[in-house]
Amino acid sequence: MSQKTLIGASALAGAVAMAISGATFLASTDSATAATEKCYGVAMAGKNDCAAGPGTTCAGTSKVDFQGNAWKSVEAGTCTTMSLEGGRMGSLEPLDRDLPA
Amino acid sequence: MPPSEPARRSAQSEFSAALINPDLPPPVGVSGPRGKGARKRFAVYRNTVTVTRIDALADIFPAVQRLVGADFFRGMARIYLAQEPPVSAVLFEYGQGLAAFLERFEPVSELPYLPDVSRLERAWLDAFHAADADPLAPAALGAVPAEDLGDLTFTPHPAARMVRSRTAAVSIFSASREQRPLETIRPLEPEDGLITRPAHEVQVRLLPPGAADFFKALMTGATLAEAATLALGRQPGFDLPAAISAMLEAGIFSACSLSPAKTEHPQ
Repeated sequence: MSQKTLIGASALAGAVAMAISGATFLASTDSATAATEKCYGVAMAGKNDCAAGPGTTCAGTSKVDFQGNAWKSVEAGTCTTMSLEGGRMGSLEPLDRDLPA
Repeated sequence: MPPSEPARRSAQSEFSAALINPDLPPPVGVSGPRGKGARKRFAVYRNTVTVTRIDALADIFPAVQRLVGADFFRGMARIYLAQEPPVSAVLFEYGQGLAAFLERFEPVSELPYLPDVSRLERAWLDAFHAADADPLAPAALGAVPAEDLGDLTFTPHPAARMVRSRTAAVSIFSASREQRPLETIRPLEPEDGLITRPAHEVQVRLLPPGAADFFKALMTGATLAEAATLALGRQPGFDLPAAISAMLEAGIFSACSLSPAKTEHPQ
């Protein structure tokens, strides 16, 4: 690696200093950590409960799976409507903090 | 006398095979009252297992389900789970192979972004369940003497994941999970996604050009100088301060240290 020309120490130091000076998130991160408590295993279902409803119909044992006609329903998805218009989305902004679905 | 180990194992594989395949008879030893057959009873059990696994996949991959529709998703999930039943009793670990399945599943070949959307969803849940760790504090990085910065290496945070895509999988994932319209997304625009969990909430970011090269290099053990040089070489517009700032804010790393080889020769 040493034979390669690496970025200079001063450029790195400047970048790190700039990154940290822009770090307004410091305090908020700390306070957010202090204010929350963790609750294990409630947000995402492990699905240990019995699927009693459909379990009585034997829908899952059908030998005739969704066939031909069902594959056509791909087009029901919204994906094919995506066009070439519209700009790219923001860069370093958090895109989402979505909740467990 | 309890059954021998090989006998038990063969009984278990017979049982799990019958669980997946409705054409197989109930496993030996499964019977109704007074020794009657248990075909229907076992079918109910098989159905419960199947539906539960499909429900788990739908919960793990909500964006994929929204993109193809619920009916299609459930039909596809049934085919997938017959090919690749869970290997863990913990269902939230299921679906690691779904992306590879989607890549070769002909009916979705027109949706080239679907495998990477499923990778993002799987990474999201892996990050959610990853071990807790404090992200690297900005002050810790700030305390490193300027002349040592270049030789720093970083320890990846247990929740940090990256998905690099030839498609707009990150935008599609986010819009789909947030139920936003997809019309404005250009699906074949390459995107890099970063998944982290600095505290208790999973975060997904769309990375600017060059950042994925930079982070990937650091995650695989390159020094700060090596990673920055690599990213700048591949992407002249790469914004190093912004990337370092994002790396601290997102919590990609939990610690930094001077690489051993470099500390022996500080100059």
